[in-house]
Amino acid sequence: MSPRTRLWVLACGVAGVAALLAVTVWRLPPFGGARHPYGERAVEAALASRVANAVASVNFDQRAFDTLGEQAILFGSVLGTVVVLRQTRDERRVEPEPAGVAGPVRRYALIALPVVLLTGVYVVAHGQLSPGGGFQGGVVAATGLHLLYVAVDYRALKRVRSVHLFTLADAAGEAGYLLLGTGGLLAGTAYLTDVLPLGTFGTLASGGTVPLLNAAIGVEVAAAVVVLLARFLDQAIEIVTSGEEGDRAPGTDGAPGTGGARPAGGTGRADGADGPHRTGRGGAG
Amino acid sequence: MTAAQALPLLVVLPLTGAALLVAAGRWLPRYAADAFGCAVAAATAALACLLLAARSGSAPVEWVGGRRPVHGSGVGISLVGDRAGLGLAALVGVLVVAALVHSWRFFDEPPSGQNGAFPALVLIFQAGMGGFTLTGDLFNAFVFFELMGVISYALTGYRVEEARAVQGALTFGFLNSVGGYATLLGIGLLYARTGELGFAQIGARLDARPGGGDALVTGALVLVATGLLVKAAAVPFHFWLPDAHTVAPSPVCMLLSGVMVQLGLYGVARVYWTVFAGPGGVPEQAVQRALLALGVLTAVTGALLCWLQRHIKRLLAFSTIAHTGLFLVALSALTPDAVSGVALYLLAHAGVKAALFAGAGVLVSRFGSVDERELHGRGRGIWGVAAVFGLGGLALAGLPPFGTALGKALCEESAGPAASVLFVAVSAVTGGAVLRVTGGVFLGLGGRGAPADGGRAARAGREQQAEETSGAGEEPETGVRLTRVPDTMLGSAAALLAGGLAVGCVPALWRAVGETAGAFTDHAGYAASVLGTTATGPVLSAPPHWSVPGVGLGLLSVVLALAAAAGGVRAAGGRRPRWSLPLRRLHSGHVGDYVACAMVGIALFALLLW
Repeated sequence: MSPRTRLWVLACGVAGVAALLAVTVWRLPPFGGARHPYGERAVEAALASRVANAVASVNFDQRAFDTLGEQAILFGSVLGTVVVLRQTRDERRVEPEPAGVAGPVRRYALIALPVVLLTGVYVVAHGQLSPGGGFQGGVVAATGLHLLYVAVDYRALKRVRSVHLFTLADAAGEAGYLLLGTGGLLAGTAYLTDVLPLGTFGTLASGGTVPLLNAAIGVEVAAAVVVLLARFLDQAIEIVTSGEEGDRAPGTDGAPGTGGARPAGGTGRADGADGPHRTGRGGAG
Repeated sequence: MTAAQALPLLVVLPLTGAALLVAAGRWLPRYAADAFGCAVAAATAALACLLLAARSGSAPVEWVGGRRPVHGSGVGISLVGDRAGLGLAALVGVLVVAALVHSWRFFDEPPSGQNGAFPALVLIFQAGMGGFTLTGDLFNAFVFFELMGVISYALTGYRVEEARAVQGALTFGFLNSVGGYATLLGIGLLYARTGELGFAQIGARLDARPGGGDALVTGALVLVATGLLVKAAAVPFHFWLPDAHTVAPSPVCMLLSGVMVQLGLYGVARVYWTVFAGPGGVPEQAVQRALLALGVLTAVTGALLCWLQRHIKRLLAFSTIAHTGLFLVALSALTPDAVSGVALYLLAHAGVKAALFAGAGVLVSRFGSVDERELHGRGRGIWGVAAVFGLGGLALAGLPPFGTALGKALCEESAGPAASVLFVAVSAVTGGAVLRVTGGVFLGLGGRGAPADGGRAARAGREQQAEETSGAGEEPETGVRLTRVPDTMLGSAAALLAGGLAVGCVPALWRAVGETAGAFTDHAGYAASVLGTTATGPVLSAPPHWSVPGVGLGLLSVVLALAAAAGGVRAAGGRRPRWSLPLRRLHSGHVGDYVACAMVGIALFALLLW
């Protein structure tokens, strides 16, 4: 289709869909009503299982099977990324080079790093009590680790970030969630049933399996984000295409694909006949 | 453990297997990872078969987390082990095992430290499809719909060395996400109206509302079904399918075309009968009209484009679209007989189509090409693969006693004489296209036609060439070209084909499918079995069986297919008709085009349902 035809077709489609939405949304119950049939049942069930954060109760108890699917989506996405961003035959790795970081940035990031890590763990651990939980806390913790990249350089991050160990943790978190669910089967009831003592409402040890499932998700999410970022950072910084890229005349090395690669030794090395020429996979170059 | 308690294991087992494969990926040697993946997939398939066979009385229903509703109100998710769900879960298991056996030591280059990445992805795919078939909850179905999606994008783009693979996976991801948004919007509408997420519960609340369905209910059906129709590759939501099948590794095509696409149809049917078929839902005539129109459009488009392809995997992909159209046309009768016809057709089609893709996989690995013209006559000597293609083509055309013929005959009976013409024509064209490939590639019949890379062809029809996907110059998926056909590849193809044949030969299966269809189309009965109330049993109709007109029409379409193949072989290399250019141009690979068409499709579908 020519761009003009495409726009017309799209305009027709969007007009139709807009009309459909207008007609249907008109029939929705009024916004902001005081009662919601599901909300009331969910809060009641949350209080009955002594989970102060009703959202956590929905996610990790009442509809824990949805979360099982969601965590599988995350796990599968990370695995898919590992597969798609793998080092292929026509690519090779180069060592990242040390990079200088401005003093204030370095100091701030190094101070913030332990605080952020601790915050992540806190958010995971208090999932059953206050907003947050495994998904949110896991992302916070993983972000904290990457402050090392901001504060020092990629080599420092690589030293503490064993992709292998984090892959293991990712798998362990996933398997942990699945295995915690079998507690119900062992107790003779349904899968994912909360069979642990419910504890005291409003304390860390409340809600039975909810905090444990939160912890499993926290481990999985933190590890998954680290592995995910590792793949993208590797592509941007370490993995270069050999072959036709290397044969190009020096100095024609296109900048695209180096985006975000801070210790980019490749760009601007006019002498680099054999120097690494950095392009991302399928780079726009 | 009761049957109900075991239902979640159909999801949990493959996911656990995938976690173990990822954790041990660094130490496991390649063959051990492949073998472990096969074992877990087979165990899951066996569990599904066991639950299917052990069933007595009503379907087992499990409330995950023990959240059984009290006095009709609850907060939990149910899994329903009815025969339709369990049967599809078993089919998924069988195809996954076949695909893993086919891909045994298949890819040359697993990611470093992740020897089990491919089997692990396939296991998660199995878990997603299993969860989708069993769930009794609309939102939970959406979660598994997304899980299937995410994994299938990664599997489609597996061969990242080729830019086309990444492009195909991206297109796939874009279109499925558009569909996913629509479905989620629809779920939101139903949830706002009823405060429920379970199929049975939503249906019960809609039915309890005085005055029946209104614009919101119809709009919700349009939106929820859109995502499922994208997955089912109904025209004009189908554009991702040929592009994805052209680039995806053959074992992945086996799963996509064999069962994932059909799960989209299953979703539409499941949602319609459990939620919208009651007095508070959408009028039957409107649904019949919409499904019939979409079905005819899909079947005709798919069949035409199937005939015009020379890239063998793309040809098979369009044949899947054509068959999706036939399933939709048959389903539009909305009767139990139609459902049993579609179910048998779908089961046999899964075996035949997966076998054909397995055969195409052998061609890629052996010759580095799936171009019908380039391969002309080069397939002489690999008679096993030739037999798979020949029998597969005949089965697609509807040769009794293949299950495809039985399913087709039953669909024709319930869809009426006018639709029978469509069924005969479409199966003759799609079967004929495969037979044309068989004749050209394996028997060397007819002329070779213009060479794939010849300058003459380029000059003769530059305009046409620009639109053509040749299929030459494929990277062998095995890394190096094979010199002989591995037994695993041929064995899985033969087993799948035998499965397609068995569907037409086992009367016990027909009876089971007949009963399944009765229960599947029983709106009140489903709600009763999930919510524990009482209802009258489904209307039992006579079990499906062969009929004389059905066999006759099957033989007719086989004769037509052979005639078409003979004509096609003789005219090999000729230019493709000019009138088909706009249709082919529409499949441009441009995501913007595809999304624009999908939006028009939503509007069209809404108009048809109103």
